[in-house]
Amino acid sequence: MMHSDNLIAQAKAGDQNAQGKVVQLWYKRIYNFGYKFFQDHDMAMEVSQKTFISMCRNLTSLQENTRFKSWLYKIAVNYCREEARKRKVNRSLSFDVVWNREAEESPGWESSSSRFDSPERQYQHQELADVLQAALMEVNDEQREVVIMKEYEGLKFREIAEILNISENTAKSRMYYGLEALRKVLEKKNINKETIGYGL
Amino acid sequence: MAYKATEQDLMAYLYGELEGAEKEAIEKYLEENEEARTSLEKLKSLRLLMSNVKDKEVIAPPLFLGDAPKVRLLDTPYIRTVLSIAASLLIVMLVGKLVDIRAGWSGNELSISFGAPQMPIEVAPAVTTPSITQSNVQQMINEALAQNNATMQVNWEATQKKLDASINRNLDLNSAKIDQLLKESSAASQDQIREFVAGIQAENLKVVKSYFQMNSTEQKKYVEGLLVDFSKYLQQQRNDDLQVVQTQLKSLQQNTDLFKQETEQILTSIISTVGPGKPTGTRN
Repeated sequence: MMHSDNLIAQAKAGDQNAQGKVVQLWYKRIYNFGYKFFQDHDMAMEVSQKTFISMCRNLTSLQENTRFKSWLYKIAVNYCREEARKRKVNRSLSFDVVWNREAEESPGWESSSSRFDSPERQYQHQELADVLQAALMEVNDEQREVVIMKEYEGLKFREIAEILNISENTAKSRMYYGLEALRKVLEKKNINKETIGYGL
Repeated sequence: MAYKATEQDLMAYLYGELEGAEKEAIEKYLEENEEARTSLEKLKSLRLLMSNVKDKEVIAPPLFLGDAPKVRLLDTPYIRTVLSIAASLLIVMLVGKLVDIRAGWSGNELSISFGAPQMPIEVAPAVTTPSITQSNVQQMINEALAQNNATMQVNWEATQKKLDASINRNLDLNSAKIDQLLKESSAASQDQIREFVAGIQAENLKVVKSYFQMNSTEQKKYVEGLLVDFSKYLQQQRNDDLQVVQTQLKSLQQNTDLFKQETEQILTSIISTVGPGKPTGTRN
């Protein structure tokens, strides 16, 4: 667990210090959830900001401190859906699609896991990650939510079901069909264990 | 009944969320079912591939919460809905009062009106007259037609007479006027012709006079010019003749001089040939 129930209790009590610590602890997770959902830095930042502002304002309404994680992801998912709806209406092109500021300012080789890799390997790794991320964007929203929460956020199916307000079996079905869809997209792009000789 | 793993079971097994008997059952199923095993292997490979997408590093920016907005009772959606409906009804009632809308239902008729409904206008029943026969009507028409024809005949005759008289009078007047006009025009035309001819004669006279004057002047000038030119020509010709004579005289003089020289030379040669001691001519 990333935090103790005590920290949540303090944050609930209005301790701004504790609230700040909670934000610091969870910001990366929520940002990455948003980023994988939209593949867009600005959108991920927007969702993260809104999620944590909402968290700080509504923390008192949290019934059980042990369910903080599900509760937080539920807020994030709702904001992701809201932003996705807005984006579908506006159909505007994010500036990051044209100029990936995030990639420019904070390139992939700075990430801790591959910091000591060779430049070529780093490049290949980044390229593969981009392809996978793009493939993930081709999966429909409902399945993508579950795939990200399960595969990258490590939530249990029970937690996912609680967050999305669906049954556990529905969450598992969405996961299954999401993975199948992803596999088909990657097959179409001819990306598999054999063609990728690195990063595995 | 044989156990068949569902997609939910496969997912739970893939992510390690099965325990005990359920886990054993699916493992046994996978051992026996190659297709399911292959499918699961593909999903495992996919998971391995997906693990290449790493988290992005991000620094949490400061959050500015500000004061939480106080929710007033009037701002709650329920109260706002009720208030908006009440306000709409009030506006409808106010407008109805102002324009005096009246709605009513009588029998099968719904009526909406502005102001008090007007009472229907009563139409007086038509007065019925005793009926007349067709022959009576025909007789009346015939009488009316005969009367009308007689009146028209009288009127027509009177009009005809007036018209004839008027035409005759106008013809007399017009013929008299035309005669007068003809007389005037003929008298006027003789005088005008005389004046016109006299004018033409005078004009011709002037033209001829001026022509002759101009002609004589021009001829005079021309003859003078001709005489001057001729005298010039004669002078030129005389000069030329003089020059020719002078040239010929000069030429003659030269020839004479030449001849003289030749003669002298011949004489000199003869003298030199004959010699100085025998003078013949002088002795005789």
